[in-house]
Amino acid sequence: MNDHLNIAKDRGLLEGLAQHDDKALKTIYLDNYPVILRMVLQNNGSEDDAKDLFQEAMIVLYEKVQEGNFDLYSKLKTFLYAVCRHLWLKKLQGNTWQTTLPEELEATLPLEDSLEQHEKKDAQFRVMEQALGSLGEPCKTLLEDYYLRKLSMQEIAEKFGYTNAENAKNQKYKCLMRLKKLFFERYRST
Amino acid sequence: MKPGVSSNRQKIKEEIRMKDQLHLLQEIERYFEGHMSDEERAAFEALRLTDPEVDRQVEEQLLFLETLQQYGQRKDLQNKMDQIHAAMGPHTAAADGMPERPVMQPLRSRTPVTRRRALTNLAAAACIALVTSLTTIAIMQQAAKRKSTAQYEDVRRVLNNIQRSQNALINDINSNKKAPANPGTYGGTGFAISANGYIITNYHVVAGADSLYVQNNKGEAFKASSIFEDISSDLAILKIADSTFKSQPLPYALKPQQVRLGEEVFTMGYPRDEIVYGKGYISAQTGFNGDTVAYQVAIPVNPGNSGAPLMDNEGNIVGIITGKQTSSDGIAFAVKSAHLKRLLEEMPKEKLPRREWTRKNHLEHLPRVDQIRKLEDFVYMVKVYN
Repeated sequence: MNDHLNIAKDRGLLEGLAQHDDKALKTIYLDNYPVILRMVLQNNGSEDDAKDLFQEAMIVLYEKVQEGNFDLYSKLKTFLYAVCRHLWLKKLQGNTWQTTLPEELEATLPLEDSLEQHEKKDAQFRVMEQALGSLGEPCKTLLEDYYLRKLSMQEIAEKFGYTNAENAKNQKYKCLMRLKKLFFERYRST
Repeated sequence: MKPGVSSNRQKIKEEIRMKDQLHLLQEIERYFEGHMSDEERAAFEALRLTDPEVDRQVEEQLLFLETLQQYGQRKDLQNKMDQIHAAMGPHTAAADGMPERPVMQPLRSRTPVTRRRALTNLAAAACIALVTSLTTIAIMQQAAKRKSTAQYEDVRRVLNNIQRSQNALINDINSNKKAPANPGTYGGTGFAISANGYIITNYHVVAGADSLYVQNNKGEAFKASSIFEDISSDLAILKIADSTFKSQPLPYALKPQQVRLGEEVFTMGYPRDEIVYGKGYISAQTGFNGDTVAYQVAIPVNPGNSGAPLMDNEGNIVGIITGKQTSSDGIAFAVKSAHLKRLLEEMPKEKLPRREWTRKNHLEHLPRVDQIRKLEDFVYMVKVYN
């Protein structure tokens, strides 16, 4: 009974997350972070590790809800915990730390699918980040303004001091061409 | 052609290509953003179909834009989370204690968790112990039950050719009343309860019988049929169907009263092809597993003794041997005579008049050997064919 209520509540939160509701995000974050923090601290991690780990798990969750077909079978807490555990395990194995893991960490969960997808998306993200990083200003900001912050060409022209929107637009296309080139060079090499 | 012209031309070519690409990009953007008119859109889609390069560019643009969007969203999310984290940071650290000494944190928080883990382990161990003991009890009980059913054994006899004694063969030859050459599948004992051919035996002896023969100690065999059966007290009444059968009046009587513990009893039966005498005493007032229908008797019985009469010292019928306990020697069971009496009373009066089985006992005060000599004419071997 209680579990059902919890899952219903969790579903509400996930819907909020999918619709970029800051309040839902905050609730999920504050509810679950302490558990992860404790887990990481117990396993020779630092607070920063916990933050990175938890945020990555949140990104996994976010990606899943963005896909729209994420069905919650367990409590949200359980899901996040499992993801964090998995990621942490991976990190520990990847590092040179020879810490033996408590047995509760050794059991893996059927999260492989989610995490595989996440890895793919993560790779794409890194490629895009690098491409944008090497693009340089003002192209980076211009493109971000247009594509992410959804500013109009007029606003961009004013912001960047172009004489008119058409000029800005031309500039934007040039930037876009360069970024695409940078992105696909890296994307294909990965 | 001069190299300068060539490079110049190439540069121009490049520029044209760049322009084309830029133009194409613009077109693609317009296509995605829905700024095209219907005609333009149709034309563009047609171009996409014919020119694979254009199609590839479109696909790339799609992937690129998607990745860019995701990048943006993730950046946004990370920013938000960082804000939340920054707002919460000192609070959580305070709750977990000592942010300036993060090394201490694991130690602080480990203690209760260790205890909790120990508690979980303890609970798991307790559960396993509980399950194990319950399973053991269940298995033990089942085993005990199976064992106790195996302990009881009907003492009917499974006959085969080897078991036939020479004596019986001679009897067979001498007798004009021949039993079938086949000795039968099962054998038991029965005894007369009337002078006109009624014989009582155990139900389990005759159960499932195709045909029945009774054979006396002289080797004479008579065809019989089961006319009355009582499964609950394991008794059956047979009637000799042979018209040549003749019998004297019974020398013994039925004693329906309960026999006292320790009273001496004896029995006569056919565990082999010859009549066998056995002597013992009543060792308990109830039978196997507290069965009130029967006595426990300390008497040697063997397969074939089923249905044998149990007599007291005066020569009264006090019971009928039915079975024995396999696990220990000298523990046999006999149905009490009261049940036999009840059964006889249930019989139709015209078939079995009451006076037939309520005779006076003529065996009293006789020495045992004389009792036996008189008795043996009335104890029959029951042969069962199926």
